[in-house]
Amino acid sequence: MKSVLGDEALLRFGKVCVLYFAKSAELTGVRAEPVAVPTSISSRELWQQLLRRHPRLSLLQEQLVLAVRQQYVAIGDQTLTLNDGDEVAVVPPLSGG
Amino acid sequence: MEGAEKKSDVFKLSRDILSIQEVVDTVSSTSCGAISIFLGTTRDSFEGRRVIGLEYEAYEAMVQSELGKLSADIRTRWPTVTHVCIHHRLGWVGAGEASVAIAMSSPHRHDAQQAVQYCINQLKANVPIWKKEVYAGDEEGSWKENKECAWGRAKEAGGEGGEGGT
Repeated sequence: MKSVLGDEALLRFGKVCVLYFAKSAELTGVRAEPVAVPTSISSRELWQQLLRRHPRLSLLQEQLVLAVRQQYVAIGDQTLTLNDGDEVAVVPPLSGG
Repeated sequence: MEGAEKKSDVFKLSRDILSIQEVVDTVSSTSCGAISIFLGTTRDSFEGRRVIGLEYEAYEAMVQSELGKLSADIRTRWPTVTHVCIHHRLGWVGAGEASVAIAMSSPHRHDAQQAVQYCINQLKANVPIWKKEVYAGDEEGSWKENKECAWGRAKEAGGEGGEGGT
Protein backbone atom coordinates (compact mmCIF):
# COMPACT_ATOMS: atom_id res chain seq x y z
CA MET A 1 0.00 0.00 0.00
CA LYS A 2 1.29 3.42 -0.90
CA SER A 3 1.42 5.97 1.87
CA VAL A 4 1.53 9.74 1.50
CA LEU A 5 5.32 9.67 1.67
CA GLY A 6 5.91 6.70 -0.55
CA ASP A 7 6.90 3.13 0.21
CA GLU A 8 9.34 3.77 3.01
CA ALA A 9 7.56 5.95 5.50
CA LEU A 10 4.07 5.22 6.70
CA LEU A 11 2.83 8.31 8.50
CA ARG A 12 0.87 7.35 11.57
CA PHE A 13 -1.49 9.74 13.28
CA GLY A 14 -2.84 9.96 16.80
CA LYS A 15 -5.32 12.24 18.47
CA VAL A 16 -3.93 14.45 21.23
CA CYS A 17 -5.82 16.80 23.51
CA VAL A 18 -4.49 20.33 23.11
CA LEU A 19 -4.98 22.68 26.06
CA TYR A 20 -4.80 26.45 25.78
CA PHE A 21 -4.05 28.75 28.73
CA ALA A 22 -4.06 32.45 29.51
CA LYS A 23 -3.45 34.59 26.43
CA SER A 24 -3.43 31.60 24.09
CA ALA A 25 -6.94 30.64 25.25
CA GLU A 26 -8.14 34.21 24.58
CA LEU A 27 -6.59 34.20 21.11
CA THR A 28 -8.10 30.87 20.07
CA GLY A 29 -11.38 31.17 21.99
CA VAL A 30 -10.84 27.55 22.98
CA ARG A 31 -9.66 25.92 26.23
CA ALA A 32 -9.26 22.38 24.96
CA GLU A 33 -9.67 20.53 21.68
CA PRO A 34 -8.72 17.18 20.12
CA VAL A 35 -6.17 17.47 17.30
CA ALA A 36 -4.97 14.73 14.96
CA VAL A 37 -1.18 14.82 14.76
CA PRO A 38 1.55 12.61 13.33
CA THR A 39 2.89 10.39 16.10
CA SER A 40 6.41 11.55 15.27
CA ILE A 41 6.72 15.30 14.74
CA SER A 42 9.05 18.11 15.72
CA SER A 43 7.83 20.65 18.27
CA ARG A 44 8.16 23.35 15.62
CA GLU A 45 5.96 21.42 13.17
CA LEU A 46 3.41 20.84 15.92
CA TRP A 47 3.36 24.55 16.72
CA GLN A 48 2.94 25.37 13.03
CA GLN A 49 0.01 22.97 12.84
CA LEU A 50 -1.66 24.78 15.74
CA LEU A 51 -0.95 28.12 14.03
CA ARG A 52 -2.75 26.91 10.92
CA ARG A 53 -5.76 26.01 13.05
CA HIS A 54 -5.65 29.31 14.96
CA PRO A 55 -3.72 32.01 13.06
CA ARG A 56 -4.21 34.50 15.91
CA LEU A 57 -1.75 32.45 17.96
CA SER A 58 0.95 34.16 15.91
CA LEU A 59 0.49 37.13 18.26
CA LEU A 60 2.39 35.06 20.83
CA GLN A 61 5.33 35.06 18.37
CA GLU A 62 7.55 32.39 19.85
CA GLN A 63 7.15 33.62 23.43
CA LEU A 64 5.82 30.28 24.47
CA VAL A 65 6.72 26.67 25.04
CA LEU A 66 4.63 23.55 24.77
CA ALA A 67 4.05 21.01 27.49
CA VAL A 68 3.80 17.41 26.31
CA ARG A 69 2.62 14.94 28.93
CA GLN A 70 3.31 17.73 31.46
CA GLN A 71 6.94 18.21 30.48
CA TYR A 72 8.01 21.52 28.96
CA VAL A 73 9.23 21.36 25.37
CA ALA A 74 10.81 24.32 23.56
CA ILE A 75 9.73 25.14 20.00
CA GLY A 76 12.46 23.63 17.88
CA ASP A 77 13.69 20.66 15.92
CA GLN A 78 13.38 18.20 18.78
CA THR A 79 11.31 15.20 17.67
CA LEU A 80 8.32 14.37 19.84
CA THR A 81 6.63 11.01 20.09
CA LEU A 82 2.93 11.63 20.54
CA ASN A 83 0.53 8.91 21.63
CA ASP A 84 -3.23 8.80 21.28
CA GLY A 85 -4.79 10.66 24.21
CA ASP A 86 -1.64 12.59 25.18
CA GLU A 87 -2.08 16.07 26.61
CA VAL A 88 -0.29 18.91 24.83
CA ALA A 89 -0.51 22.38 26.34
CA VAL A 90 0.28 25.76 24.84
CA VAL A 91 2.23 27.58 27.58
CA PRO A 92 2.60 31.37 27.35
CA PRO A 93 5.17 33.07 29.64
CA LEU A 94 4.44 32.21 33.26
CA SER A 95 3.26 34.65 35.88
CA GLY A 96 2.58 32.68 39.02
CA GLY A 97 3.36 33.98 42.47
CA MET B 1 16.94 10.82 69.96
CA GLU B 2 15.96 11.56 66.36
CA GLY B 3 12.50 10.23 65.62
CA ALA B 4 11.69 9.24 62.08
CA GLU B 5 9.42 12.25 61.56
CA LYS B 6 7.82 11.94 58.18
CA LYS B 7 8.58 15.03 56.14
CA SER B 8 5.55 16.41 54.35
CA ASP B 9 4.85 18.36 51.18
CA VAL B 10 1.46 20.03 51.00
CA PHE B 11 0.41 21.91 47.88
CA LYS B 12 -2.96 23.56 47.50
CA LEU B 13 -4.62 25.55 44.73
CA SER B 14 -7.77 27.26 45.96
CA ARG B 15 -10.17 30.04 45.10
CA ASP B 16 -10.55 30.75 48.82
CA ILE B 17 -8.73 33.49 50.74
CA LEU B 18 -5.35 32.21 51.96
CA SER B 19 -5.02 31.36 55.62
CA ILE B 20 -1.58 32.07 57.05
CA GLN B 21 -2.49 30.13 60.16
CA GLU B 22 -3.28 27.10 58.04
CA VAL B 23 0.10 27.11 56.28
CA VAL B 24 1.93 27.68 59.57
CA ASP B 25 0.04 24.83 61.24
CA THR B 26 0.84 22.57 58.27
CA VAL B 27 4.61 22.93 58.71
CA SER B 28 4.84 23.26 62.48
CA SER B 29 6.89 20.63 64.22
CA THR B 30 8.42 20.27 67.66
CA SER B 31 11.61 19.14 65.92
CA CYS B 32 11.90 22.52 64.23
CA GLY B 33 13.12 25.77 65.73
CA ALA B 34 12.14 27.87 62.73
CA ILE B 35 9.29 28.41 60.33
CA SER B 36 10.00 30.68 57.40
CA ILE B 37 7.08 32.18 55.50
CA PHE B 38 6.72 34.08 52.25
CA LEU B 39 3.50 35.82 51.29
CA GLY B 40 3.01 37.30 47.85
CA THR B 41 0.46 40.09 47.92
CA THR B 42 -1.36 42.04 45.24
CA ARG B 43 -0.13 45.60 44.75
CA ASP B 44 -2.60 48.28 43.81
CA SER B 45 -0.50 49.95 41.13
CA PHE B 46 1.71 49.19 38.18
CA GLU B 47 3.55 51.86 36.18
CA GLY B 48 1.23 54.57 37.37
CA ARG B 49 -1.98 52.68 36.68
CA ARG B 50 -4.33 51.67 39.45
CA VAL B 51 -4.66 47.89 39.74
CA ILE B 52 -7.94 46.64 41.14
CA GLY B 53 -6.94 42.99 41.18
CA LEU B 54 -5.42 39.95 39.52
CA GLU B 55 -7.15 37.04 37.84
CA TYR B 56 -5.20 33.78 38.17
CA GLU B 57 -5.48 30.59 36.16
CA ALA B 58 -3.38 27.42 36.15
CA TYR B 59 -2.61 24.15 34.38
CA GLU B 60 -3.58 22.48 37.62
CA ALA B 61 -2.33 18.94 37.06
CA MET B 62 1.04 20.21 35.94
CA VAL B 63 1.24 22.65 38.88
CA GLN B 64 1.14 19.65 41.19
CA SER B 65 3.89 17.82 39.34
CA GLU B 66 6.09 20.92 39.03
CA LEU B 67 5.70 21.76 42.74
CA GLY B 68 6.61 18.17 43.54
CA LYS B 69 9.79 18.50 41.49
CA LEU B 70 10.54 21.85 43.12
CA SER B 71 10.16 20.46 46.61
CA ALA B 72 12.41 17.51 45.78
CA ASP B 73 14.99 19.96 44.44
CA ILE B 74 14.74 22.04 47.63
CA ARG B 75 15.18 18.97 49.82
CA THR B 76 18.34 18.03 47.92
CA ARG B 77 19.79 21.49 48.40
CA TRP B 78 18.67 22.00 52.03
CA PRO B 79 18.27 18.52 53.53
CA THR B 80 17.22 19.77 56.95
CA VAL B 81 14.03 21.31 55.59
CA THR B 82 11.34 19.30 57.32
CA HIS B 83 7.89 20.36 56.08
CA VAL B 84 6.95 22.30 52.97
CA CYS B 85 3.61 23.97 52.34
CA ILE B 86 2.69 26.00 49.26
CA HIS B 87 -0.75 27.51 48.79
CA HIS B 88 -1.62 29.47 45.65
CA ARG B 89 -4.89 31.15 44.84
CA LEU B 90 -6.83 30.81 41.63
CA GLY B 91 -9.45 33.17 40.28
CA TRP B 92 -9.87 36.73 41.43
CA VAL B 93 -7.43 38.20 43.98
CA GLY B 94 -8.20 41.79 44.90
CA ALA B 95 -5.57 44.44 45.58
CA GLY B 96 -4.17 43.98 49.06
CA GLU B 97 -4.90 40.26 49.24
CA ALA B 98 -2.32 37.48 49.32
CA SER B 99 -2.03 35.30 46.22
CA VAL B 100 0.67 32.85 47.31
CA ALA B 101 1.92 31.56 50.64
CA ILE B 102 5.03 29.44 51.10
CA ALA B 103 5.96 28.06 54.52
CA MET B 104 8.84 25.76 55.47
CA SER B 105 10.19 24.48 58.75
CA SER B 106 13.68 23.38 59.70
CA PRO B 107 15.53 22.72 62.95
CA HIS B 108 17.58 25.89 62.52
CA ARG B 109 16.47 28.96 60.62
CA HIS B 110 19.11 29.17 57.87
CA ASP B 111 17.79 26.34 55.69
CA ALA B 112 14.11 27.30 55.88
CA GLN B 113 14.89 30.93 55.08
CA GLN B 114 17.13 30.10 52.12
CA ALA B 115 14.75 27.46 50.80
CA VAL B 116 11.71 29.75 50.91
CA GLN B 117 13.57 32.42 48.95
CA TYR B 118 14.67 29.86 46.37
CA CYS B 119 11.16 28.44 46.22
CA ILE B 120 9.39 31.64 45.20
CA ASN B 121 12.03 32.34 42.53
CA GLN B 122 11.69 28.85 41.07
CA LEU B 123 7.89 28.93 41.29
CA LYS B 124 7.90 32.11 39.20
CA ALA B 125 10.22 30.49 36.67
CA ASN B 126 8.63 27.07 36.26
CA VAL B 127 5.15 26.56 37.70
CA PRO B 128 2.35 26.85 35.09
CA ILE B 129 0.25 29.59 36.63
CA TRP B 130 -0.71 32.87 34.90
CA LYS B 131 -2.12 36.14 36.13
CA LYS B 132 -3.96 38.91 34.36
CA GLU B 133 -3.65 42.37 35.87
CA VAL B 134 -6.91 44.32 35.81
CA TYR B 135 -6.81 48.10 35.94
CA ALA B 136 -9.39 50.64 37.05
CA GLY B 137 -11.50 51.65 34.06
CA ASP B 138 -10.08 48.95 31.76
CA GLU B 139 -11.89 45.64 31.42
CA GLU B 140 -9.28 44.13 29.11
CA GLY B 141 -6.44 43.70 31.54
CA SER B 142 -2.93 42.60 30.79
CA TRP B 143 -1.34 39.15 31.03
CA LYS B 144 1.80 39.43 33.14
CA GLU B 145 5.11 37.72 32.40
CA ASN B 146 7.59 36.84 35.14
CA LYS B 147 11.12 37.96 34.37
CA GLU B 148 12.21 34.62 35.86
CA CYS B 149 10.44 32.76 33.05
CA ALA B 150 12.86 31.69 30.33
CA TRP B 151 10.40 32.14 27.45
CA GLY B 152 9.07 35.58 28.28
CA ARG B 153 10.06 38.90 26.78
CA ALA B 154 11.81 40.04 29.94
CA LYS B 155 14.55 37.56 30.74
CA GLU B 156 16.19 37.65 34.20
CA ALA B 157 19.26 39.52 32.92
CA GLY B 158 18.03 43.08 32.95
CA GLY B 159 14.91 42.97 30.78
CA GLU B 160 12.01 45.39 31.20
CA GLY B 161 9.00 43.27 30.37
CA GLY B 162 5.46 43.47 31.61
CA GLU B 163 5.93 42.34 35.17
CA GLY B 164 6.08 44.19 38.42
CA GLY B 165 7.37 41.39 40.57
CA THR B 166 6.88 40.64 44.20
